[in-house]
Amino acid sequence: MARRRLLAGLTGALLAQFAHADDDILQRVLVQGSRASQLGVADTASAGYVSQKQLEALTAYRPGELLEATPGLIVSQHSGEGKANQFYLRGFNLDHGTDLRTTVDDMPVNQRSHAHGQGWTDLNFLIPELAARLDYKKGPYSAQEGDFASAGTAAVTYSNRLPQNLATVSLGQNGYARTALAGTVDQGGGAWLYALEALHNDGPFVHPDDYQKLNGVLRYSQGYANNGVAITAMAYRGTWNATDQVPRRAVDDGALGRFDTVDPSDGGNAKRYSLSGVWRRTSSDASSKVSAYLIRNQLDLYSNFTYFLDDPVNGDQFSQPDRRVTGGANASHTWHAHPGGRESDFSIGLQLQNDNIFNGLYNTRARQRLSATRVDHVVESSAGLFVENHTRWSNWLRSTAGVRVDAYRFKVDSDLAANSGTATSRLASPSLSLAFGPWRQTDLYVNLGNGFHSNDARGVLTTVDPKTGDAATPVPGLVRSHGLELGVRSEIVPNLQTAVSLYRLDFDSELTFVGDAGTTEAGRPSRRTGVEVSNYYKPLKWLTIDADVAFARARYRDAAAEGERIPGAVEGVGQLALTVDAIGPWSGSLRLRYFGPRPLIEDDSVRSRATTTITGRLAYRIARDLKIELEGFNLTNRRDSAIDYLYESRLKNETAAVTDIHFHPIEARSARLTLIKNW
Amino acid sequence: MRFFKPVLAALLLACSALAFAHQFHVAYTDISFNERTGSLEVVHTLHTDDVDALLANLYQRQFDLTRPEDEAVLRKYVEQGFWIAGAGGKRLPLHWVGLTVGPETVVVYQEIENTPLSQAAVIHQGVLSDFLADQTNTVNINENGAVRTLSFNRQTVEKAVR
Repeated sequence: MARRRLLAGLTGALLAQFAHADDDILQRVLVQGSRASQLGVADTASAGYVSQKQLEALTAYRPGELLEATPGLIVSQHSGEGKANQFYLRGFNLDHGTDLRTTVDDMPVNQRSHAHGQGWTDLNFLIPELAARLDYKKGPYSAQEGDFASAGTAAVTYSNRLPQNLATVSLGQNGYARTALAGTVDQGGGAWLYALEALHNDGPFVHPDDYQKLNGVLRYSQGYANNGVAITAMAYRGTWNATDQVPRRAVDDGALGRFDTVDPSDGGNAKRYSLSGVWRRTSSDASSKVSAYLIRNQLDLYSNFTYFLDDPVNGDQFSQPDRRVTGGANASHTWHAHPGGRESDFSIGLQLQNDNIFNGLYNTRARQRLSATRVDHVVESSAGLFVENHTRWSNWLRSTAGVRVDAYRFKVDSDLAANSGTATSRLASPSLSLAFGPWRQTDLYVNLGNGFHSNDARGVLTTVDPKTGDAATPVPGLVRSHGLELGVRSEIVPNLQTAVSLYRLDFDSELTFVGDAGTTEAGRPSRRTGVEVSNYYKPLKWLTIDADVAFARARYRDAAAEGERIPGAVEGVGQLALTVDAIGPWSGSLRLRYFGPRPLIEDDSVRSRATTTITGRLAYRIARDLKIELEGFNLTNRRDSAIDYLYESRLKNETAAVTDIHFHPIEARSARLTLIKNW
Repeated sequence: MRFFKPVLAALLLACSALAFAHQFHVAYTDISFNERTGSLEVVHTLHTDDVDALLANLYQRQFDLTRPEDEAVLRKYVEQGFWIAGAGGKRLPLHWVGLTVGPETVVVYQEIENTPLSQAAVIHQGVLSDFLADQTNTVNINENGAVRTLSFNRQTVEKAVR
């Protein structure tokens, strides 16, 4: 065999002479363990992807935290586990996902004109074992990305097939239990992918979350991802109790514990069912993709943030039911040409989406309705058309230029006639990226772009505040953002991938969270400037070090007596993670995550403290097909906050409103043990 | 090395002919009998780029072929796409020996123990051609120093050895 190897080596050397990366249209991955280089490929320093192995190595308390593999992105939870996560990125407190566009297999996760918060991103239906890759972009520099994509995008891709079937059982502290079964069955030239998940978690709270989740995925695919078809059905349901934020004064004087609740009847239930399909054709000179989806979302959410401020008798609990059917289709075509010896891709795409939404805001007591503040039927329809050209002008210059046009129609049928009607909005968003290099393993980038977010349709058509009866000014349907970024990506140091971005992002109107109404509202114009540094270092085959830091300066652009700080805007974010892979049967990781202080009020007189956590994972492979894992969360048992707000509230024993910090604690130190069987 | 000279010459010829046609996707398979071990040896030389793209489009993920569990993924694919059958149409027992991976090529080694080349009647070679429409697979059969070359593509995945 040795001589055969020699011969094969010679053959390989000859083949190498004409080996050529002519598969730009095809998705390229590496076969050598390290993360694939983005040099000569990416359009910005702040875009990238996370491989399945990196996602698998991440210690995640909740599925939404998989998105934290994006450098600079923080995902937390400020209420019961079934609620959409809280996101922080690029100097934004993104609330439940506003300005972070998230998709799973081309299905939008953000829910527009949502009862609780614009762009509501509930990722509890995500099954980590199926996630094959995560692609992220930051800033509005791609014509292919529409609503909510100004701070960034995160796209999760599920596998069509799993390399191995798996069954897993986890047990942990605080009532944590999870089991999942996932696998692939080849049949009739195609493959069935199935996954089932059941989960229970109480969390560290005095009044347990009792979060119960059932989740399933069934997919049939035929052919290859780039030349094939896949149809997917998903179903998720969750019920939970919520420990909403508590007032610091009550914790300081001992009336409440850190994990206590004021209103134990807070909580909710959610359901999500979807049917989606994707078809792709790829040849050496063109590629086409068509995807379509139908999503049914149902949410009942009961919250009480101000306790007895508005209603000293019944309390301030309110409910925000939201039932919707979202239908949509995306179609794109790319021509791959070589004019004058240059490589050039020209893409055109159409994105259609319609939401038929029934939502409302009700006053409740212990989840029983007392009165309606507003009840709405919203039909929101949008069409986005984009064209984009990517050209490699020479071996040191490439450009991506594009423009997208979005048209929205907002139709609201409200219980108040004055707040009903139809409005339309249109916006064109051009973008341009130039990439120079690589020289000495280094690329330079200049990015200019425009993005947008849509406002809640109800805000677009509201002329009378349903709570106070006062006149209200309707907000614009679409709000523009402008981004500018300079970036460097370098691999000059062996085994180290470094990216540095310096950016500015302006918004014509900031979406801010209104604590006492439990909603987001369109606010003042803003500017963010920031710098991000991300490092991926793999000095040894078994060792990876991730070190990312990001700083952002967020300010309102207009003058106002109240001040120019943006409440909740995160200023500094960092992570340091060590991942050890396959030292014999052992693997593991240790990760420090930091998100810095936030101003809680426009004049910056009250600020939150920083939040720091350390998580760890130790895994031992008992046999080739059997692995045991121990995960630890908040290892130093820090008493930090997942969120801090400053607003007025009133406890039952208080005679007047008190302005105070209200916080939700991060999870206490806890551990989970997982057994994973493959076959 | 006496046996391998004609193989090398054929490869050089094939490579130089294709050297200016890099838009084509090609792979090579060398089949020969090892007199010392009595085994029929099969060596596939594939482009790493093509294997990358193949596995990414099958599984949407990145593999590290130096890991046994990831090697098993490529093994499953190659064993489904390539086989040698005897005169009666029965597949000969092709064992997986291993692979080597480099930045340009992935080389896969298989063998059929205690089997002379004369027992091989039919070759099925559908590796990569189901994925890449323009894939050409060249199979070089070294029989007693004489090299014969068979060419396979998406339309032709099976040929008689003689």
